[in-house]
Amino acid sequence: MQQGQQQQRKQQEKLKRSNIVKNIASSSLSFVAIFYLAIIITIFSYSSSLTSSPHATNNYAYATTQQNKIGDLSLSTLIHQGSPYLGDSSAPITIIDFSDFQCYLCARYVKATEPLINQTYIQTGKVILIFKHLPNRGFDSMDAALAAQCTNDQGKFWQFHNMLYYNQKPIDSGWVSKDNLKKFASQIIGLNMQQFEVCFDTKKYKDFIESDLTLGSSFGFHDTPSFIIVNSKDGSNPEILEGAHPFPSFKAIIDKKLEERRNSS
Amino acid sequence: MNSSSSTSSIKTKLLSLLVSLLPLSIRIIFSRAPYIALAIGIAVIFWIIFNVFEQLLFFSPIWVFYLPEDAVIGFILTNITAILMGILVSMNVYVIKHSRLKISKSSFSGTSLSILSSICVSCSSIGFLLISTFGGLGIIVSNFLSIYQTPLRIISIGIMLFALYSIHKRITESCCVFDCNTTYDNKK
Repeated sequence: MQQGQQQQRKQQEKLKRSNIVKNIASSSLSFVAIFYLAIIITIFSYSSSLTSSPHATNNYAYATTQQNKIGDLSLSTLIHQGSPYLGDSSAPITIIDFSDFQCYLCARYVKATEPLINQTYIQTGKVILIFKHLPNRGFDSMDAALAAQCTNDQGKFWQFHNMLYYNQKPIDSGWVSKDNLKKFASQIIGLNMQQFEVCFDTKKYKDFIESDLTLGSSFGFHDTPSFIIVNSKDGSNPEILEGAHPFPSFKAIIDKKLEERRNSS
Repeated sequence: MNSSSSTSSIKTKLLSLLVSLLPLSIRIIFSRAPYIALAIGIAVIFWIIFNVFEQLLFFSPIWVFYLPEDAVIGFILTNITAILMGILVSMNVYVIKHSRLKISKSSFSGTSLSILSSICVSCSSIGFLLISTFGGLGIIVSNFLSIYQTPLRIISIGIMLFALYSIHKRITESCCVFDCNTTYDNKK
């Protein structure tokens, strides 16, 4: 009789224990579900921010408003301000590239997408590429931007630009320390090192880079690389691309703009 | 005629051999369509999530997926992770749904580990978002996550495999509790 009761108690205890563990397991599963849900919501809010906010692709209204606040994005103004450029200054479309030399997605864009844009649109005189500094990835990013802008004084920006991106190392690992930046610069044939060092050591372009940063922030760019594609003549019809988009994304926008130009003329 | 029938019988034999190579727990759970659908659904959702954060998949201005050289290793690891997530979630659902099964510590640890590893993987993917949120500290955290992204992913895959093993052990043990003398294949 007593044995029967003991067995019953044991079974009840077992049942209780298994219920507790089951509850814990189901609550942990609910946690997993909530976690997945949070990720999905984050994704949707992130992608909706890409399509309906400052970072929007094709967000013509926002970009135009910002442009009106900031001023001229015409090619002549951008070149006059001293921004490095690649291509024919009579090209009808301008791509403004906001990048950081320490950002690995910018390096991905430089290696995978930029050569295709260069070959298809820049070499054919349809597009001109303007570089704007957005050094926000790491603590050494500002020095890299300062050094790059100094090489632009001697027409060596794009060599230095490619050298940094093709030798990129982890962020703030010291690969773009002041000494290393000077070593990189010294490898560029025809660069006057004395002139470069004076420019770099005196931080000649600090204000210039900060104005680029302000411009990028005013467009809501926190992610690098980010791009604004405009009509070169007056900087009108801006289209924004945020992230290391592949060539087909650029092609879609550029071809659309070229088509619009053809139709209007 | 004979040759075609012999080829098909070889194929059937090979297929059954491959199926028999799968762990018992996988065979038990994925012999039911809803669990296969759940696993595929979760794997697809995670595949999309990882590739959007990795900037390999874009929905705007056009739908496009590309795989640059520098992203190949990460892409392979995220694919493995997405598939494992699908299998793990499905198995966890099975374990909890079948209340007759005795839920042991190992299955609980399997569930917890899958949660931990999923958080680990997602953090390594969305690290760049931290910069804008936490400023200077965000830079440090984001740098850590981007530098150690690959090892973090490998660790999380390891944790998931362990979780998978824990759940497998748990399911097969419970089979033994109810029917020690017959194997799953014999029952079928």
